[in-house]
Amino acid sequence: MRNTAAVAVEVTGSEPVAFENGRASLQTWRAFRREPLGMLALGILLLLVIAAVAAPLIAPYPPSYGDPVLASPNPQHWFGTDSLGRDVFGEVVWGSQQSILVAVAASAIAIVVGTVIAVIGAYFRRLDSFVSVLVDVTLSLPVLPLMILIAALVGPSTTTIILVVAAFSWPEVTRLVRSQALIVVQLPYVDAARLMTTSPLWIIARHIVPAVTPVIVVSVVVTASRAVLSAAGLAFLGLGDPNAWSWGRILYEAQQSGAMSSAWWLTLFPSIAILMLVLAATLLSVAYNDARNPRSRRR
Amino acid sequence: MSRFLFLIPRLGRGVLTIWFAVTVTFLLLRLLPGDPALAIASPNMTEETRAILLKEYGLDQPLIVQYGIYLWQVVQGNLGVSFTQSIPVFDVLMQRLPWTLLLTGTALVTTVAVGIPLGVLAASHRGRFLDRLVQIIGVTGQSIFVPSIGVLFLFVFGLMLGWLPIGGAYDQDAYGLAWYGSVATHLALPALSLMLVQLGSYVLTMRSTLIDALREDYTLLAKANGLPYRRVLWRHALRNALLPTTTLIGLQLGFLVGGAVLTETVFAYPGIGRGIYEAVTQLDFPVLQGAFLALAITVVVANMITDTVYGFLDPRVKKA
Repeated sequence: MRNTAAVAVEVTGSEPVAFENGRASLQTWRAFRREPLGMLALGILLLLVIAAVAAPLIAPYPPSYGDPVLASPNPQHWFGTDSLGRDVFGEVVWGSQQSILVAVAASAIAIVVGTVIAVIGAYFRRLDSFVSVLVDVTLSLPVLPLMILIAALVGPSTTTIILVVAAFSWPEVTRLVRSQALIVVQLPYVDAARLMTTSPLWIIARHIVPAVTPVIVVSVVVTASRAVLSAAGLAFLGLGDPNAWSWGRILYEAQQSGAMSSAWWLTLFPSIAILMLVLAATLLSVAYNDARNPRSRRR
Repeated sequence: MSRFLFLIPRLGRGVLTIWFAVTVTFLLLRLLPGDPALAIASPNMTEETRAILLKEYGLDQPLIVQYGIYLWQVVQGNLGVSFTQSIPVFDVLMQRLPWTLLLTGTALVTTVAVGIPLGVLAASHRGRFLDRLVQIIGVTGQSIFVPSIGVLFLFVFGLMLGWLPIGGAYDQDAYGLAWYGSVATHLALPALSLMLVQLGSYVLTMRSTLIDALREDYTLLAKANGLPYRRVLWRHALRNALLPTTTLIGLQLGFLVGGAVLTETVFAYPGIGRGIYEAVTQLDFPVLQGAFLALAITVVVANMITDTVYGFLDPRVKKA
């Protein structure tokens, strides 16, 4: 907390504005570089993003059928082939596109919506009790069954999945951001800002949102990794986009074809891909948190 | 009696949650593209048969009237009749709900029973090898996709070793004690998968709150009084550190139910999550509404239980 307050009195130009200054983020980066697990996580994430972006260069798009059916991993097919003879390596590489796209898009929407609701609730105190009840109630709903319901009714497509995952991810963001925002709005600099302008929008955008940014950064990662798991869950139930490969869809097709129990490579490789993405994101957020907090920095 | 007075506002919130779940489900089913009329009436029917059918299910009324009728019936405990199976929704749910409760209940109890000691172990070995190991297990467990671990268990324990059955909830031809035994063996793998993915949050929360509690003045005082370390840890610090863990149960319930749907799919377990998935594909609206209601009530009741436990753990709650 002291950190936020200290940052807040930093002066730029005529008006005090809360922000993470350049020096602080450089220190965070220096501390972060010394965390081996954090750097490893960052490396894995970069690798997965490169695989997603460069998918056409790495592997040809899996055709609708191929020759050796259910071949175990071999030099031609590193990850083996599935029950229609398609190359599993290609499916996993192309699947990274879909998984990362859904994670990024859904968490971006959830973060924006969740932050706006949290900050508005914290600033206009009369709305806050409504926001907190809404968040509590939404969080206690069985989320995956609701996602199944909507995806099945609307019809599975990438857009549907992104929107559905986002629609049920924002309360978690609101919960995290709200607790921080409630503290920030009581700091003296927000009162000072009220003396200088009458626009709550300006105060929220310029003074409150920057002060809760570190919490947002952490919740981006948490939300994105949960989004990966939710999207994979929907795809595993056959509610993924039928026109795009995703890791969940590989598992779904493996189960549908009945080859799941005999052809271990069909489940192993997409499972490892999901695990790596989620684990790397989690470790990254832990390392970022440690690096940002001066008290836990190793000197 | 006054010990339970603090539950009254929570009861109100519970009713609100159930109402919210019922309303959200009702609106989603009616406003989204899938048309319930198409599910029961085929387009090939004559206009008259179609009208009679729709009238029979009350689907010819305006939305608000349908909503009013539905709410009134729910309050009376009437959940309607399944479109596809033509038996009361209540009966459909009663076939399924016990299995889901058994699965999620077992998973939750074992998670807490394993998670708390592991968290204590990590916190009391802070920074050493055991702590690192427990943390790695926790974080990795949290990141695993439920079907992945489910298939792995199925493969290893069900197919390679042949120790445990790979699907269903019981043996058809077992009676008496053998039947209970078959229920237990069928439960083992799904419950274990669900436990492993849940475990991380409990262990990590337990660890960090216990580390904080061990730094507090009152634990220092207890140590200064000459109490043995074990007693300080288990009786003084742990009691306070249990509070956030209890809160976590409430927050994780929705996630637990979601995990149960996936687990039930992997192991062909006849629970309500699998039932929802089947009802969605068949557009069986009354069953869907009933299933969500059942899950919402389950979550609310479980929340009330954790709130009660919280009230006993933390005497301050009752005064507030």
